[in-house]
Parts: sequence; structure tokens; C-alpha cells
Amino acid sequence: MFSVLGSRSLVLFTQAQTIESLKARIAALEARPALGDTPPTAFATGPLALGPGLLEEIFTDEPRNAGAALGLALGQARSLLSPERHAIIYLQLTSETQETGLPYGPGLLSFGIDPSAMVLGRMDNIVDLLWALEEAIACRPVAAVIADIATRHRALDFTASRRLSLKAARTGATVILLRYGRAREASAAQLRVRLVPVISGETPFDAQAPGPPRWRCTLEKGQARTAGSATEILLDWTDNGFAVVETGGKPRRIAPVASPFSPLPAALGDRLSEAG
Amino acid sequence: MLWERIKGGMRLAALDPAASAAGLFVGQSLADARALVPNLAVREIDRAFLDRKFADFADWHSNASPLVAALPDQAAWGDLILDITGVAHLFGGEAAMLETVISRLSRQGFTVAGSVADSVGAAWALAHYAPGTIEDGDAATALAELPVAALRLDEHEITALLQLGLKRIGQLYGRDRKALQARFGVRLVNRLDQALGRVEERITPRLPLIDLFAEQRFAEPVGLIDDVLMCTADLAVRLAHTLELKNLGAQTFHLFLYRVDHQVMTLSINASRATRDSGHIARLFANRAERLAGEYDAGFGIDCIRLAASSLTETAALQLGAFGTSEASADLDRLYDRMTSRLGPLAVVHSRFVDTHIPERAVRLEPVIARTPPIAVTPPDAAQLRPLRLLPAPEPIEVIAAVPDGPPATMIWRRITYRFAKASGPERIEAEWWRSGRKLDVLDPPRTRSAVIDPKTTLHLPKLEAFEAEATLRDYYVAEDDGGRRFWIFRRGLYGANATPGWFMHGIFA
Repeated sequence: MFSVLGSRSLVLFTQAQTIESLKARIAALEARPALGDTPPTAFATGPLALGPGLLEEIFTDEPRNAGAALGLALGQARSLLSPERHAIIYLQLTSETQETGLPYGPGLLSFGIDPSAMVLGRMDNIVDLLWALEEAIACRPVAAVIADIATRHRALDFTASRRLSLKAARTGATVILLRYGRAREASAAQLRVRLVPVISGETPFDAQAPGPPRWRCTLEKGQARTAGSATEILLDWTDNGFAVVETGGKPRRIAPVASPFSPLPAALGDRLSEAG
Repeated sequence: MLWERIKGGMRLAALDPAASAAGLFVGQSLADARALVPNLAVREIDRAFLDRKFADFADWHSNASPLVAALPDQAAWGDLILDITGVAHLFGGEAAMLETVISRLSRQGFTVAGSVADSVGAAWALAHYAPGTIEDGDAATALAELPVAALRLDEHEITALLQLGLKRIGQLYGRDRKALQARFGVRLVNRLDQALGRVEERITPRLPLIDLFAEQRFAEPVGLIDDVLMCTADLAVRLAHTLELKNLGAQTFHLFLYRVDHQVMTLSINASRATRDSGHIARLFANRAERLAGEYDAGFGIDCIRLAASSLTETAALQLGAFGTSEASADLDRLYDRMTSRLGPLAVVHSRFVDTHIPERAVRLEPVIARTPPIAVTPPDAAQLRPLRLLPAPEPIEVIAAVPDGPPATMIWRRITYRFAKASGPERIEAEWWRSGRKLDVLDPPRTRSAVIDPKTTLHLPKLEAFEAEATLRDYYVAEDDGGRRFWIFRRGLYGANATPGWFMHGIFA
């Protein structure tokens, strides 16, 4: 009796409705908005603007590219800042500080981050780091947590990353993991970007001087939403935010990643208005 | 019986009553003693161990009085001072209290003597030379008949007094102070005044001072850390209730675990803002306990747990609002509290600018929970290129430059050769002669006044070698290699006739 009723009600669904309901179920399992609505956005608004509640991995080949990786992460995290979510937390293992360096206040300024507002957490082991990471995600005012993990750890496996991605989706804080090396482990990150620094463009007055940082970003996982769905873009970090470099030569300025809440009324903000 | 090596000779250091009765004395050589008493049981004295044990022993007495101190004037261990002002009535009077404290120790096999007096000096004198006395406000009469040694004097001072026939303290009373001071030194006069209560003598309590506490005693000792934490959560509720009634919040909390075998473990936590949230307090202690790991040792069990609060401040009742934005920063503070309680204060830091040109000193890392009030500091010049990551200690590199003072052409860093495609610089930074020889400024962790010193906290920040004062100047270059990596490297000093300056890697740009 029961099964007959069930099959009759199923008949009422059209095929499209079935797909919709299945999508909703998957979305519920995945703890994120339904697949059709807002896909995990790599390049939704700006070239690399992140949505809230994502787990992203930024891979570079070697720890000596750590500066570039942190630069991309900070550029992305900056767009997540809002009056309600105004904190960025950076986590690192104490043993890796000398290897990759410690985020440096005056340098952070050039990425539009107020150094006194960015808290650095320095842990002895990966377990503490993951614990702090989860605690930080659960905290409402935290916009983004950047975790710098230079070596491979058994504790950071698929289960751990799945936990992180579910928790991030639930609380709305974005997690950016900075990883190094060419090997890729299974992870539940929605986005994975491979970053390679590229020799910089020219500066107007001194051909010998390094120009603004330039990176080649390859989207290895997740959906690209740029024009033409290119999975590989060449980016410059300028005073106005990310700028896409076209293959021909000069960087094309794209709409700056508008931050509704700028912690910096400093020179950076001034130049934003001049450029706009 | 214990012996000690003094000037190459093995001499007796401590005796029990039976040994004294056999005619042995402290300072006698071990060989003599063995000759006198053939079946002597002796061990070498371990002073560090005794000091430690006595400290534990002293801590344990905080169940009798909040102010307990060891008195190291005469011996590193052996003298215990309890400030029992306002405590005695809990034990049914001074006599009863003395009786309780002494009898419970002698039951455990300690040889104890004690006394009660108005001043530290008088109490010491009575305890050593007239044990059991309870001085009733007239120290002068109580002490008059005691030998001068009761004044906590040096051996040669005592000998000097005895040579002049001054054997009892009473004989010193009427004497001219100036003459006494001239002959025996100011110490004697001081000690006399201390004993008679004419000058105040302070004791240094071993355990942090507490303002409010809640405690739980157990009929059966508990051992598991989980039980302790569960009990802590209950105590936190009680303490929070007390705080709420008084409209107070506390920033520092201490957990005292009294072990059956007379030791006290102290755990302290600091909150970044005054709180009375029991759940928060309990969670901080749970986090702190995780950091303990191997250090936690319940011994034969814990029979009393005390949760205490200090650094109280007035905290108004807080209404939880639906639209509060200040809640956000409170949330953040709680996050920092939790992280700090588990990871240690130096693990959760933020950067503060310091007015200096030296790059590694221009930023000071400050524990988040111990924020200092903001000082007006000129923010760094945005036009100056500064790296995104700074190596805590600059690493020496090998550099080849086309001309000695020109930008570098190649370098070897961490055994890898880099060929530079572009470089700019130099930016010359001179040594600041007005503060030479200082290291990267790192604030001390907040003083918890805790008896437990956490060895981990010191490891969290890299040890920076101070740059030598003669390292006069640095020329910084931004150099980009053919792979697009950009480094901040500097040359220390100038090329001269006899000196070859060193090159260092200091930072990595984005």
C-alpha cells in the first residue's frame, strides 16, 4: 500500500523537478548553496575574488615562493573584509618561521591590510594549528584564516580538510591554505590554485627595477568564471588590486576589488580614488 | 642523616634526633661520625631536591592561610611563615590553629615546631627556641629570656655578642642603639627591631594573591584530569555567581590543585578582558590543561580544588542585544583567549610599529591578550618597498655584483643559485647609534604571577642575534630573479681596504 502511494507521488515530478530536488539534496550534503545558484566562485566578481565560507588551497612549487602565495592570499582575503567580519588570522608553525618568513607589518600595508588587526598564530605542531584553525573559523568576526603549512603532515588529510570545508561553509569564514610542492593530496577544498611567480613587467622610469608582482594562476580545481572560462590567468598586484595581464603585454586594469570596509585610510585608499 | 661535600671534605649536613643523641653534630666530618656510630645510615644531601620539595610543602599550606612564604633568611628550607591575620578564628583560635597545623604535620612524620607571634622575627625566635608559645601582644617579655641566636643572626655576630656576655635578647633592650650598631653592624639593630615589631617585615607569598575563590573538597581524592576539569566547570559557575553578585569581572584566574601528598599544582590563565562567563573560564582551563600534557601528575590524588580570581574590575551587567556590534569584538577577544590558553601567550601575537629605521626592529610582536595602549608612531612610509615576509634572522648569502657598490648579479641562498634579472636599490639604512646592541623587541609575556613557569613560552619566538654595534650600515636591494621571485637582500658595511662586507637575505616580496 505504502509503496504504491510512493510511486504515485513520484510520477507527479517532472524530470526537471527531479533534477532540482537531487541538486538540493546534494547541496544539503555539501553544505553549500545549490549547485545552480552560486558555484564556488573563483573568478566571480574580480579575477580572483573569493566568496565567503570556502576552503581554498594555494599551491606553489617551492617554499621560496612563499611571498607570492601570501600575496595572493592577502589580496583575496582583503575582498572578504566587512564591518561585521573584520579580522584576518594567519597561522604558521613555529618551526617553519625561518624557512618561509614571518608576515611583515610594513609589507602588509602594501596589500591593504592593517598589520595591527591581523593576528599571527604560531603553533608548535600541526594538531594545534588545525585546532586553532577550527576555533578561528567558528568565530563570527573572522573573515578569513590563512594557514601556512610548508610541509606535508599526516594530520592534514582528506578528513581534516572535509571538516574544515564543512565548518567554513556553515560559519561563512573563508579558509586559505598555503601549500607547497608539486604533489597533490586528496582534499575537500572547493578551489585549488597553482601559483607561479613570473618575471614582472616594466616600470615606467627604471627598466632595471622590478615592477609590480606578477603571478600565473592556474585553477586546478573549482569552476572558473572569467570571461571565456580561462583556467589560467596572468595577474599583477598593483596599488589598485589585481590586474589581469593579457598575453600581448600591458596589464589591463580591471575593476578593483571593492572592499566595503577598508581598514586603511592610508595612501593605498587615496590612490584607489585617484584611479577610479 | 645527610652529608655534604664542603671544601673537599665530607661533612654532616643534617641530623635526626637519634643522631644528635648519639653525640653527632652538624659540620662533623663523616669519617669521625662513622667512627663514633658504626651503623650510621647516611645519604648525600640533594639541596635542589629539598628546595623543591619544601616549596611544594609551603604551597600546600595555602589551605591554612592565603599568605604563605618560605623564609630563606637562615636556611633555604625549613622555615615556613603563615600570615594568619583574620584566619585563626576559622580554626577556633590561634592556639587551636597552631595545634591543628602542627599535629597534622607530626602525624605525617615531620618534626615540627611552631609558634604564633605578632611579627615574623618574634615568631621565628619563639618557634626555634620556645616552640609552642603563643605571644599575646608583648613580644619584648616573650623574647627577653631567649638566646641572642633567636634573632636570626650570623654565626660570627652571635659569637661577637657572646664574647661580650650578651647572651639573652633581654640584655640588648636598654642598650644604646648607636653603640650596638657601631659594634655589631646595622643588621643586629634591624633584626632586633623586626623581632619586636618596631619595623615592618614583609613576606613574599609563594602563590599568587587571590581576591575571590570557590573551592571543592573531596572525601576521596580524584586523579583524572577530566574529573578535575569537570569540577573546575562547577566551581566556575559558583565563582561566576559570586562575581555577578558583586558586579565584578576578573581577568586572571588560578586553579590550585591540592594533592594528598602536600603539593599544589597551579594553573593560571589570563583573559584579554574582564569576564565572569563560567563557560568561557572552564573552556580556558580545559585548553590550558591540554598544553600541560606530561606535566600533569596527580600523584596519589587531589583532595581539594580551588578556583580563584584576581585582577578584579567592576563589570556592569551586560544585556545581550540583537543588534550589538560590540559583541563582534568580544567574540574575537574570546577567540584570542582560547587560543592563548592552549598555545601560550607568545603564540598569538599581532604587530605593532615601532619608531625605528631598522627593519627587524620596526615591528614588535605583542601578545594579543596583553595589548599595550596605542602609542603615536609614524606609520611606515608607503613609498618604501617592504617585503611581505621577513626572515626572523637574516641568512648569509653569497653574492656576485658587477661593481662592488652596484646591484647584485647572482646569489647563492640555501645552496641554490639565483640569477637576478632586475634589481633596484640601494636603500641605505644606517645603524641607529642611540640604541645599539638591542635585539628585536619582543614583549615579555604577561606576568601571571604563577608558580608554574611554562618552559614552552620562551621557545615561541626565534632567538635573534643582536647585530654588532660596529655593523654600521646596510644597503638594501630589491632583486628579482629570472623566475619572478623577489628578494630583499642587504650588504652590511662598505667595501673598504681590508674589510669584506657580508651579504644577507632578509625578506621575500610577494
